[in-house]
Amino acid sequence: MSEVINEIQELVEDTQKGRYLTFAIGKEFYGIEIKYVTEIINIQKITEVPELPSYIKGIINLRGKIIPVLDVRLRFKKEAKEYNDRTCIVVVDIEDISVGLIVDSVSEVTSITENDIVPPPDANTGFSNKYIKGIGKVGDEVKLLLDCSKLLSDEDCDSLAKITQ
Amino acid sequence: MKKVLVADDATFMRTSLRMMLERNGFEVVGEAENGLVAVNKYKEMNPDIVTMDITMPICDGIKAVQMIKEYDPNAKIIMISSMGQECFVKEAIISGAKGFIVKPFKEDYVIETLAKL
Amino acid sequence: MTDNMDREPMLEMFIFETYQLIDQLEQALLSFEKGAGFEASINEIFRIMHTIKGSAAMMLFDNISTLAHSMEDLFFYLREERPENVEPSKIIDIVFEGVDFIKAETAKIESGLEPDGNSEQLKEKALEYLQHLKNSNPSSDNAKYEAKKEGTKESHENVEQKYYISSSKNTQKLMTNKYEAIIFFEDGCEMENIRAFSVVHDLESVAEIISYVPEDVMENSDSVQTIRDKGFKVVFKTDLGLDEVKDRLYHTVLLKDLQVFLTDDDLEGFEFIENKEIDVEQKEAQSNTEKKNIVLDDINEEQIKDFDKKSESGKASLENVKEQLKTVGKQSVISVNIAKLDLLMDLVGELVISGAMVTQNPDLKGLTLNNFSKAARQLNKITGELQDIVMSIRMVPLSMTFQKMNRIVRDMSKKLDKSVELEIIGEETEVDKNIIERITDPLIHLIRNSIDHGIERSDERLEKGKNPTGKLVLEARNAGGEVWIIVKDDGKGLNREKILERARVNGLIHKPEAELTDREIYSFIFLPGFSTKENVTEFSGRGVGMDIVTKNIEMVGGSVQIDSIPGEGTTFLIKFPLTLAIIDGMIIAVGCNKYTIPTIAILESFRVKNEAVIEDENGNEMIMVRGECYPVVRLHRRFGIDTEVTDFNEGIMIMLESEGKRRCIFADELLGEQQVVVKALPKYIKKVNAIAGCTLLGDGDISLILDIDDIIQ
Repeated sequence: MSEVINEIQELVEDTQKGRYLTFAIGKEFYGIEIKYVTEIINIQKITEVPELPSYIKGIINLRGKIIPVLDVRLRFKKEAKEYNDRTCIVVVDIEDISVGLIVDSVSEVTSITENDIVPPPDANTGFSNKYIKGIGKVGDEVKLLLDCSKLLSDEDCDSLAKITQ
Repeated sequence: MKKVLVADDATFMRTSLRMMLERNGFEVVGEAENGLVAVNKYKEMNPDIVTMDITMPICDGIKAVQMIKEYDPNAKIIMISSMGQECFVKEAIISGAKGFIVKPFKEDYVIETLAKL
Repeated sequence: MTDNMDREPMLEMFIFETYQLIDQLEQALLSFEKGAGFEASINEIFRIMHTIKGSAAMMLFDNISTLAHSMEDLFFYLREERPENVEPSKIIDIVFEGVDFIKAETAKIESGLEPDGNSEQLKEKALEYLQHLKNSNPSSDNAKYEAKKEGTKESHENVEQKYYISSSKNTQKLMTNKYEAIIFFEDGCEMENIRAFSVVHDLESVAEIISYVPEDVMENSDSVQTIRDKGFKVVFKTDLGLDEVKDRLYHTVLLKDLQVFLTDDDLEGFEFIENKEIDVEQKEAQSNTEKKNIVLDDINEEQIKDFDKKSESGKASLENVKEQLKTVGKQSVISVNIAKLDLLMDLVGELVISGAMVTQNPDLKGLTLNNFSKAARQLNKITGELQDIVMSIRMVPLSMTFQKMNRIVRDMSKKLDKSVELEIIGEETEVDKNIIERITDPLIHLIRNSIDHGIERSDERLEKGKNPTGKLVLEARNAGGEVWIIVKDDGKGLNREKILERARVNGLIHKPEAELTDREIYSFIFLPGFSTKENVTEFSGRGVGMDIVTKNIEMVGGSVQIDSIPGEGTTFLIKFPLTLAIIDGMIIAVGCNKYTIPTIAILESFRVKNEAVIEDENGNEMIMVRGECYPVVRLHRRFGIDTEVTDFNEGIMIMLESEGKRRCIFADELLGEQQVVVKALPKYIKKVNAIAGCTLLGDGDISLILDIDDIIQ
C-alpha cells in the first residue's frame, strides 16, 4: 500500500487528469479520480454513531481530525464482509467534506484516457448502480468509475436529516 | 546597536516603524501606546532614541517630550507628525525634540533622520 | 510607502486595526449621541480619525485617508472651539456615513480588491458642515481656532521670543565669524519650513542669527515652496570655525545640499551697512520683545492660576488617567491568525494522543517502572494544561458582537421611526471564536426582525398601554454546559394564525394541525419555504427568509427556539453546544462504546436492584427514588448497541437533570471523570438526535457526548 501512496505523492506535481485510484469490492474493480484522494489508511477503530444509515459506519480519529467513514460495500447494497488486513480506508475530500471510504482492498493508480471510457449502460437494461459515471477499460480489465459527489450526495443527507428529526 | 522606543497609539504605525528600524540595524526595545507609557518606559529602558507620535490618548507627544526632557535633558526624540501639524512640530522642537518625520514616511528618510542623531 | 516595505503583514494589520478602530468609533459615536461624555467622545473620535488617516496614507489608500482627514478637521474644530449650535445627530450621521465608507473600503482591501470608492462627496459633506459651523459662530472664535490650528500662536510665539532674548544675550559675547549658509532639503521630505526653523533653532545655541530668507518660515505656508526652489538662506555670527559650522550643519536631517560661506563685514561695505540696518532693527526688535516679555509674564501668572485650578481638579483627572490606564492594560492583546490557532489546537490534540501512546504503551505492561510512571504523570499533567490553555485562547467574549447591535438598533429605529431601547446582558460571556463569527449575521437578522415586525410605533404602544419606547433585550449566559443567547422584544408577538395559514399554503405541515404546539408553529418561520413576502421592508426583508438564521446557527451545531405571547412580545433562544470548548465530562461505557456526559447535568449515580424498576403497560421503565418516580432510558436500547450488561443489577443508573426535568439513564459502568474537548460531529453527519458532539480521549478513541436535552425531552 505504501507504494501506492508514494505514487500518489509523485503525482501531485504531475497533472492529475485522467488518473484514477482503483480498488476492489468483491470481484469488481472501481476507480475514483485521484484528485479527490487525500490519503489511504489501514482500517482502524471506528466509533459508531447511533441512528445513522447502516452504510455510515461511524467516525474515526484521523490525527485529531474527526471524519465519517462510509462502507462502500454497504453503500452499493452488497453483503457486509468482515474487515481484514487488506481492508483500507480511502480518505477523499469532496466539496470540502472529508470522508473515509471503506473498500476491500486498494490496487493501483492508473491512467484511463477519455477514449477508453464509455458511459454506463442505461438503467433500463438492469444496470442499477447510480454511483457509476463511466466504465473505463485498462487492458482487458474493466474499472467502474465512481461519481464521488453522488456517493455522498445530498439526497442521502436529506434522508439523514429526516431520520434525525 | 541603537536602542529605540517607539511611541504611537496605532499598532499599525508601531509595527511599520519597528519593521523599518529592525531592518536597518536598530533595536526596538519597547513600544508605548500613549505619552504616559512612553515616559515611563523611557525611564525604565533608557533608550538611545524615542520616536514619538504627536496625537496620542491620555498624554500627547508634546507633553511626553517635555516630561522626558525634564527627566533627561539629553534625550533624543524624533517626532512622528502628519501634514498639517506644523505648529505642533515646532512646539516639540522648542521643547527639545531633535527632529521629525512626516507621515506617510519613506523608509530612507526615517533611517537618515534617526542615524543623524 | 516604500517598495521595500513588506506590504502583506502590514496590510493584514492595517485591516485588523482599522476594523478595531471603526468598532471603537461606533461606540464613541453612540455614546456621543446619548450625550454621555460629550467631550471625551469628541476627543476620541478626533484621535481615531487621525490614526486612520495616518495608517491609510501609509498604505496609499488615499480615498480613506482624505475622508478621515476631513472628519479629523471637523472634530478638531469641535474640540477646540466647542461651537454652540452643534446638531449632534447631523454630525453623527455624517460620521456614520464616513464610517460605513471606510468599512466598505476596508472590506474591499480585505478581499484583495482595490479600494476604489469615491469619498469626495462624503468629504465635501463634512467640510461643508464645518464651514457651516464656522459661519454660524462668532468670527473672533474662528480666529482663535485658526490660530490654534496654525500653531496655537500666542503661547508658542511667547516661548519663541523668550528664546530669542536668551540667544541675543549670547551676543554679549563677541561673535567673531560671520557666515552665510544655503540649505536644500531632500525632495518630498515635507514641512521644509519647520526643518528650516529647526536649523535656526539649533544654531541659536551657538550663534547669533542675523537674518534668514524666507523670513516668514512659520507664518507663511508659501515659504515651503520658496525653500524647495531656492533653498533656505541663513546669515549668522559665531565663534565657531568654518569646519565646525559645516559639521554642525551637515548634521541637518534630510539635507540634500549645503553651501557655507565665510563673509567678511569689513571687506564688503554694502553688506556692512545692510548689517548695520539690521542691527538697528535688531535692537528695535529686542526692545519689542522685552515689552512682549512683560505681557508674557502676565499671561504666565494667569496661566499659573489656571494651572492651580487645574491641579485642584487634578485628583479627579489622575483618577481618570488611572482608569484609562486600567483599560489600556486590559487591551494589551496581540492578534493571532486563527488558522495558526487551529493548527496549534490540532497539534496539541496529537501531542496528548502520542503522549498517551507512550505512557500506556502495551510493551510496558506488567513492568514496575516507578520513575517512569512519575515522569509520565508529569507529562500528562503538562500536556493537559497545555490543552486547556489552547482551548481558552480561542474563547472570546461576546461583547464586541453585542455592542455592534447598538448600531443596528439605532439605524433601524431611526429609519422606521420607532423608539427602541436595547439592553445588553452578559456580554462578557465567552464563546469559541467560530461561534462569534457565525452569530453576528443571525443576531442582526433577529434584531432587525424584532424592530421591524415586533415592536410597534410609539402611538400604537401608548394605545395598548405600553411604554412608548420599545425594549429589546440581548442576553448571553452559560446554561448547563451550553451557551444561550437570547433576543427578546416586548412587541406585538407572532401571529399564530397567519403563520399557520402560510405554512399550510406552502405545504410545510406534515402532521395533524391539532397536534402542533405553539413552539412548533412559530418555528415554521425558520423553514426555507416560509417567507412572509407581504412584510418585506428594506431591512428585514431583502427576500432572504429567517432560514438564513437557522442555517448559520446550525453550522456551528446550535439551535433556535421561539416563544411568543401575543401582545407581549417574542423571545428567540439560541443555544450553542460547547463546540470546541472544554467541559467536565463523565466517561461511561456501553458495550464497547464510550460516551461522555457533561458532569454538570449529572445529579447522582447509583446501583439498583432489578426489583426497583417498574414497568408500565407500554413497556416504559421507571424507577422510584426517594418517593419520586423517574423514567429510565437504557442507553444500549436507545442507541442499538450490543452489550452484555442488560441486567439492572450489573450496570449503573445515572440521574440527569436539564431545565428542571429529571430522568435516569442506564449504562454499563462509569469509567471516570475528566475534562474533554468538545468537537462537532463531521459536517457530513449533521445533527444526530441525543448526540451533542464528540471528543477525543487520551488513548485516541472517540467518545460521543450525549445531548442531555434531547435525552430528557
